[in-house]
This record gives sequence, structure tokens and C-alpha cells, in this order.
Amino acid sequence: MTEGALTWFILYGVATLLFFGIAVVVAIRGIGELKDLLKR
Amino acid sequence: MNFGILDWCVTIVYLVASVWLGIWVKKYVENLAGYMVAGRRVKLSLGIATFVATELGTVTFVYFGEMGYVAGFSGFIIGILAMVAYSTVGRSGFIIEGLRRRGVMTIPEFYEHRFSRKVRLVGGLLLFAGGVLNMGIFLKFDGIFLSEVMGFGPGALALVMTVMLLVVMAYTILGGMFSIVVTDYMQFVFLSIGMLVATIAMFVHISPEQMSTAVAATLGTAGVDPLANPRFGWTFVVWILISSVAAGALWQPGTSKALSSESPAVAKKVFFWTGLTFSGRAMIPILWGVAALAYFGPGQGTAAAMPRLMGAIVPTGFLGLLVAGLLAASMSTYSAYLLAWSSVVTRDVIACTRPKDFPEATTVLLTRIAAGIIGVFLLLFGLWYAIPDTAFQYLYLTGTMYTSGALGCVAAGLYWRRANNVGAYSALILGAITPAAFLLLEKSRDVLPGWLHFITDVNIAGLLSFFLAALGMVIGSLVSQRISPPRIMSAEVQQ
Repeated sequence: MTEGALTWFILYGVATLLFFGIAVVVAIRGIGELKDLLKR
Repeated sequence: MNFGILDWCVTIVYLVASVWLGIWVKKYVENLAGYMVAGRRVKLSLGIATFVATELGTVTFVYFGEMGYVAGFSGFIIGILAMVAYSTVGRSGFIIEGLRRRGVMTIPEFYEHRFSRKVRLVGGLLLFAGGVLNMGIFLKFDGIFLSEVMGFGPGALALVMTVMLLVVMAYTILGGMFSIVVTDYMQFVFLSIGMLVATIAMFVHISPEQMSTAVAATLGTAGVDPLANPRFGWTFVVWILISSVAAGALWQPGTSKALSSESPAVAKKVFFWTGLTFSGRAMIPILWGVAALAYFGPGQGTAAAMPRLMGAIVPTGFLGLLVAGLLAASMSTYSAYLLAWSSVVTRDVIACTRPKDFPEATTVLLTRIAAGIIGVFLLLFGLWYAIPDTAFQYLYLTGTMYTSGALGCVAAGLYWRRANNVGAYSALILGAITPAAFLLLEKSRDVLPGWLHFITDVNIAGLLSFFLAALGMVIGSLVSQRISPPRIMSAEVQQ
């Protein structure tokens, strides 16, 4: 693997973890907020 | 056809659930603020979910996949620039905090507070034109992706486009922002699962080593160094960075999420955390495109290569999850965009031709009708128009047509006391000139005189637009302080 590709793969790993990490937290916390939003 | 019975079941259950949920939520819409900004009651996690879902459509996957296929790892730079821009807007509150504090529902509404009703009309027209042109290619790209992944081929494009549009229109027209926020949450979950499925399938079939070898063999240094890639370079980097800041703060579908937040502080947090996801938003599908290059080699249709790869490597059952994720991504984007542009044309264009706004009920009715008309236009436009260059640059350029002038107007309007009407008109009009010239002249480059060829370079046209808009605001305001004294804004309103 070229040095340039390796650098990009490391950044890709960080970006992917950040994306799916935030997705999991938002999915869990979002349910409660959805209930609040739909209270009349 | 790649699609099995299990895939059909997953997809149909998802579609029915989406439409039912979107229409059920309609009962919570009690007034105009409920329809346009969900009563300004959206909290942090829900705000992030709806923002990410809005900014991640199937079209996003297609243009980033295409970018990976033609530019290799170099395209990753776009994700980093977007993350820096959106997170900075969130951290600093640049523009979004001021807009949310004033309780506006659309960005041109601010023009009337700070400049005049006529500036609002001009700004609204430009925002509407840039926005609808920008959205014009969504359906086509989404249709390409879904037809390829499901294995229908290009013949099913029109049918897939029509079905997607009808489903989204059904709940957006009825439920407005309430339906959008609620369905976006579900769509956010589905699209994240779909992205995970596609990424795992990609790594199972294609190793990083294979991707690196394919990029080196096909693209050489241009595949890993964005500054050495003729598609990018410094002009591109500076344009996309400025453009991402402007789009982050001022692109109505996204900014409306800040305007729907329960407070200015929550609006800032929504932007910051969403900004952090933006590197992954670009890099994940770009790597799918790189994988398509490794799997098929060069020579495939650039937009269709990555969807074709997905159709080939994702197993039955999981393909249904991926398609549900894609539909989720598309529907959440269409719904937010349809509401944004129909709100703008109703409140900032049609209503601004009259001295006073329409009553709330009339505004909601007109917005619903406008959403229907825009939907039909999108279908016809998507089938007819041939997109120049790569889709990514087309989308950014049509966005720039509006955001360059808006950045000048809103930033100066909020932070510079001497900004006035003449500066605002100059910024809006000068900002729109070079992107419009590019769209009109790009296809007739050969008949243009040599000195005008620069306008057919998408990167130069985009960057120039921001410089001209800023220049227009500063010079226009400074030379006309006497004939057009700046308006002092009324006290800030927290709603």
C-alpha cells in the first residue's frame, strides 16, 4: 500500500468511527426527544 | 434482477411505515410555525438526526461515489473541508445564532428585517432558483442508484423516480416540518444501517490493498494528492471551504433545522455535532467509489459504477436493508428540500409582491400547492437535463448562485452596521452572475472567445462568485450611505 493511501485510510477510519458513533448516540437519545416533541 | 422476496418485504414495510408515520404526525400541525419549523421545539439529538438525514441523500452517495471512482482518495479532501466548515459554524454560531435569535423562518425574511421587502423578494427569487436547480438532479441520480442496485437497469429510471417523489410529496405536503422531523429520525436510523451494510460488504469483497493498487495504477499521484489532481487544486479547495461555510450557515433546508431548534444554544450544538459527521458523510461513499474502481477497473459509467458494485456484492436480504436505507436517505432529503423551497417561494416571493403577508392559513395552503408544483417540475427537469462535469461541482455551483450573495447580505447585515440596500442588491446580483454564466455557457465553450474560457472552469466560476458578492456588498454600501441610509434593526426577538 502506498504511503498516501495509508494516510487517507487512517483518516477514513477516524471519520467512519465518528459518523457511526454519533449515529448510535443520536438514535438512542432521539427516541426520548421524539416522545417529548409529540406531547400535546 | 438482484432483488429477492426478502428484499421486497423489507423495502415495502419501510415505505408503508414512512408514509403512515408522516401522515399520522399531521395532527400536530396547529399553525404556521408548526408547519414551517415544527413549533421550534426540536432538541439536540433529534436536530442532529434530521440535519444529517437532510444532508445525506442517495444523490450524495452517487456524487461522492462518482468522485471516488474518478478521483480516488483525493476526493476525501471534500469531507475534511465540510467538517471544518460546519463545525466552525456550529462552534462560533456564525450567522445561525443571529438568525435563530431573531425567530425568522426563512433566510430572505431576515433581508426584510435588515434591508427592505424588495431585497427580500430578490433574495427569495435567487434562493428559489438556485435551490430548485440544485435539487433538479436529485431524482435522476437517485433513480440511477436504485435501478442499478435493484438490478432493473436504466429502463426503470422514470418509474423509480416517480414513485419516490409521490411518496415523499404525500407526507411533506400534509405534515410540513413535523412530518419531516419525525420521519427523518426513522430515516436516519435506516440510512445509517444501510451505510454500514454497504461498507461491510465492500471490505468483505475488496481489500484496502486492492483499492490502493487500483488508484495508483489508474490515477497515479492525482489519486492521493488533491492539489496534484487537475479536478481540484487550490482554487477548488478555497472555493469549497468558503462555499461550505456559506452553505452551512445559509442553505435553507439545513438552516431550517437550526431555525426549528428549541433555542439558539441548541442550534449551535446541532450544527457542531452534525459538522463532525460530515467527514464520514463524504468519505464513506467516496471509498465505495474507490472500491468500484478496484472491482471493475476504469471505463464504467462514472455515476453507475458504484451502484453497480453494490448490486453485485451486497447479498439478498441485506440488499433490502440497503435499498430501504437509500430510500430513507432520498425521502428525508426531498421532504426537507420541498418544504424549504415551497416556503421560500410562498413567503419570500409571492407574498413579497404584495404590501402585507398572507394570513397563516393561506400561507400554508399556498406552500402545499407550491410543493406539488415543484415536485412535478423536478420530475420533468430530472429526466431532461444533462448534467455538466461531475455532479458534485454542479450541485455546489447551483448552490453558490444563491449562497455567495446571501453570505454577503446576511453576514454584513448581522455584523456590519454600514451594510445597506444598495450593497445587498449588488451582493445578490453579482454573486449570481458567474454561476449563471457557467450554466448557460459551459455547453458552448468552443464558440466562446478565448478570454471568456475562464468562466467555463467550474472552480473559477464558483470562487469568483464569492469575491464579486463580497465586493458588491462593501463597495455598494460605502458609495451609497447618503442615498440609502442603513436600517437599524429592531431589538432581537427570542422565540
